[in-house]
Amino acid sequence: MISFEFFAILGLSLVLYWLLPAQRARNLLLSAASLLFIWLLDHQSLVVVLALTLFSYGMGQAIYRLKRNSWVHVLGVIGILASLIFFKYLGFLAGLFDSLYIFLEALPRFSLHHLLLPLGLSYIAFKQISYLSDIKWKLVKPGSFADFLLYNSLFTIFLAGPIERFERLNPQFQSPRIPFKKADLELGSRRIVIGLFKKLVLADWLGFFISGIWNNPSQYHPGLALLAVFGYAFQIYLDFAGYSDIAIGASRLFGLRVMENFDRPYLATNISQFWRRWHISLSDFIRDYIFFPLSRLSSNKVWLLGFVPVIAMGLCGLWHGADSRYLIWGIWHGLGLSVYQIFQQLKRRLGKRKMLKFNAFFAAIAWPLTFMFVSLGWLSFRAFGLPMARHIFFSFEGLTLTLISFLLLIFLGRWLPAFLLDIGARIRWRPAFTLYLLLICLICYSALNTEFIYAAF
Amino acid sequence: MEAQLLEFIRDEFLDDPETEIDADTKLISGGFIDSFSLVSLQSYIEREFGKRIPAPRITAESFDTIKQMVQIIQQF
Repeated sequence: MISFEFFAILGLSLVLYWLLPAQRARNLLLSAASLLFIWLLDHQSLVVVLALTLFSYGMGQAIYRLKRNSWVHVLGVIGILASLIFFKYLGFLAGLFDSLYIFLEALPRFSLHHLLLPLGLSYIAFKQISYLSDIKWKLVKPGSFADFLLYNSLFTIFLAGPIERFERLNPQFQSPRIPFKKADLELGSRRIVIGLFKKLVLADWLGFFISGIWNNPSQYHPGLALLAVFGYAFQIYLDFAGYSDIAIGASRLFGLRVMENFDRPYLATNISQFWRRWHISLSDFIRDYIFFPLSRLSSNKVWLLGFVPVIAMGLCGLWHGADSRYLIWGIWHGLGLSVYQIFQQLKRRLGKRKMLKFNAFFAAIAWPLTFMFVSLGWLSFRAFGLPMARHIFFSFEGLTLTLISFLLLIFLGRWLPAFLLDIGARIRWRPAFTLYLLLICLICYSALNTEFIYAAF
Repeated sequence: MEAQLLEFIRDEFLDDPETEIDADTKLISGGFIDSFSLVSLQSYIEREFGKRIPAPRITAESFDTIKQMVQIIQQF
């Protein structure tokens, strides 16, 4: 994303875009620029994007036109998932089958390990599933093929989302002429620079300092290892939020409004709230197309509170990649949601008076507990951090420091979230800030340059 | 419909049934009801009013207040 190709295409298409008088022509230009961007990154990805777009558009038309359309909807979703499984998970499954090969020698052996994941496929697959489901539920019409192609390929949000809905983007494409506004250019470029700053200055340098500890935790004091765990929580947030800022800002330059993907997630005071603030476009998708449909299968409390969150979040974890560490991370969050929900139900049952005496206690631990829970979840997400976990939690020093940091967070929690919100509200942005930040970004970019973590998913 | 929804939400989802809510109270963004409660609300609406509301419509933007809920129910 932070590449010559991206910024060259952004600059050129931006000038031409605003010179064109009609939105139809602008959309065609954006489509051409987007397809060029994908082609420059990876030829195979372009073929997959075009094939999937054709397939899903055809399916969308069939769902829209047929009265008995449930089977088309199912077929369409299966087709999209099949492509995702083929490119993303077959290597993983082939590994599992290989281990059984000794018992299946008579069968032909396929080599699927080196199949490359087409760029942006995980994001397109979810966009297209939402497209087909929304047509099925009569929330949207299929639109024109040109608009659907632009929805799938729009280069500003192609690599790692946000996973926008057709329902939100298509009306903007349909507009007769998005008006040129100086404010869009100013806010868009500011947002891009803030994103670059988060990624190149904060996330990359934080990652640089903690990667040594993550790679070899036993060489460091457990306290430093614990700091590296918290450090990774901020690295992944700044990396992905930085990417999202660039994506949202670049779209804004074209007058397009794209949904927010983060809303101060580490200030959440419970795990349910965290998922309304972290990777919002993905958690919305999980909620609408996995959590709700699964919940409708049975009204049994054990199913609803115990299984549904774990299955939904387990799938959310697997979406990140065919690796057990992502699955464990998802299940960790699913269990967190499940326990939190059971706790909420108990609170309601016990009633206000009985819970009153515990309110101050719950309020004090809510934020630190949520932050610690999420941070520990990253242990699995980042390179299956068993050695790190063992180093911290299997030592007296590590456990003591974890407890101390939790108590410290309780203390900080009394004023830190409010202080941060207050600082955020007080900042008055000046155009010069954008230039200063850009300068710092350029210096840092020349020293250290890594890929976005979420672009790999 | 408004009164019926108000009563259901107050009885089923509020920690404190004495909390003052009305047809304009922001229930999702205000933190009164979460995704788990919305699943029950979706089933209740289907049972009581015979309308099945798709999940993408049950959001803080379009389903936050009881007034908005009534509007959405009437659309389906």
